[in-house]
Amino acid sequence: MVRRAGALALSLLFATMARAQQPQLAFSVQPGGVVAAALPVSILQDATVRKQLRSGLTTTFLIVARQRDTRAVTGARIEVRYDLWDEVWIAQKVELNRRGERQRLTSLDALEKWWRTPVRLLSTKASRVTVQVDLSVLPFSAAEEEDAREWISKSGGVGTEGGSGGLVDALIGTTLSAKPLTSYRWNVELALQ
Amino acid sequence: MTPTRSLLAVVITIAAATLLFWFVLHQISGVWLDVALRPEVRAALEQSREDQKALRQLDPARRAEYRKRFDETQKLINRIEVLRMNRQAMLRRFELALMIVFALAATAAAILLWTRYRRAQERERREYLERVTSLQETARRHAHEIKGPLTAARLELERYADLVTADASADERARAQESVSEELERLARYTREFSSFAGIGKPVLRRESLGQMIEEFCTTFANAWAGMELNDSGGDAVVCVDRDMFRQVLVNLCSNSARAGAASMRFMIVRNGPVVLLDARDNGSGIPDSLRARVFDPYVTTRRIGEGMGLGLSISRKVMLDHGGDLVLASTSSSGTTFRVVFGAATCA
Repeated sequence: MVRRAGALALSLLFATMARAQQPQLAFSVQPGGVVAAALPVSILQDATVRKQLRSGLTTTFLIVARQRDTRAVTGARIEVRYDLWDEVWIAQKVELNRRGERQRLTSLDALEKWWRTPVRLLSTKASRVTVQVDLSVLPFSAAEEEDAREWISKSGGVGTEGGSGGLVDALIGTTLSAKPLTSYRWNVELALQ
Repeated sequence: MTPTRSLLAVVITIAAATLLFWFVLHQISGVWLDVALRPEVRAALEQSREDQKALRQLDPARRAEYRKRFDETQKLINRIEVLRMNRQAMLRRFELALMIVFALAATAAAILLWTRYRRAQERERREYLERVTSLQETARRHAHEIKGPLTAARLELERYADLVTADASADERARAQESVSEELERLARYTREFSSFAGIGKPVLRRESLGQMIEEFCTTFANAWAGMELNDSGGDAVVCVDRDMFRQVLVNLCSNSARAGAASMRFMIVRNGPVVLLDARDNGSGIPDSLRARVFDPYVTTRRIGEGMGLGLSISRKVMLDHGGDLVLASTSSSGTTFRVVFGAATCA
């Protein structure tokens, strides 16, 4: 296979298990065999997601890419929080081998524009790769989860002093988690030309 | 344990476990989970947050302060939101934890009850066998005690008849007659022993000097048991006691010690607060393990059949209990035995 520098044409051969209403990913190949995917804006426009975005919590979009052939697992994370004080969107992407700068976006349109920027998902030297991409929309970030866990265990009335706090901490520690608000899955076979 | 009591114990255990579950549930979820999630709490916090935003417009000089309060409020709202999203999962987890505790408690209770039931069954069976064995032993002793003199008396009577037929001398007939009388006297002694057990009277209590009584006893009975020396360790106390009955207790204790091969019996008066104790310590061979728990039971003895009925300690303890005191086995080993006579707080003339 001959790789050319820069973007190469990429064709989506087929997508299995794709639902009719499932938004489609737009893949592209970047230098170094890095495959990136532009996420559809419809994900942001989903009613549940839209409501969560304005909650003040950090909505986390967790993307996991599994290569069928090599079984390599890579991923990316997008964090979006609406700052209610300044009324701006704080957004950040943590991609394959790269942590993007935190963005302050003043409008939803700006956020959607930023959203369309492809996310680096995986790196490959193969000419053809079969990938399963999972996207989970989590309602809050790991830091917020930890903060809430600490707050709950301290303010439970039984977890402040004495031995009963251990039980409460254990229960909270094994229970509190960010359940996905919604999730998507794409199975694609990519031919890199 | 009867089935009713077993059932009652199970019910009480389960009720206690349920109460514990309720308490834990109340502590964990009842206190903060639902309170924190009340809509008005969130509404109040959101209003507070918006107020801080509004205040920055009215008082820009204190913007930083309002921002800080805003962030704190927002953080609290975020925490409550995280809690709200996990409410069901947390409740399910807590309930599961409580159910596990409940199951463990119920299982432990059931195992405990079953074990106690099995042990009670086993103990009842063992005690029944011991009672039957003891009765068999008693029956053998009774049979021997009666059969011995009867057989001897019958043989002597037959001999007497032969002597009469043979026109034996008066002396020979008299000896035969005397022999029959001796055997009948053995039977009479035997029945008297039972009479003494059955007819232990009520003690007539008088104030007596215990030290003086022990001293007199050691003097009077100094040669009563061959090879056993009586020692008085001194000391004194005034006790309410029936002198004759108490002396019978001492005689019984000394007789047992002599049979156990003791070379000495030492009496020691001990005061334990208002309670007066008399320790009777011998250096005999001790009481076998198998008999220790039943040593005060009637017909329990180490003697062979025909040598006694094993009523002495039983009678002695009954006497001391009637005094409002007790007689206990303080210690026993291969180097000696100590019986402790406890004088009660009975009043007397």
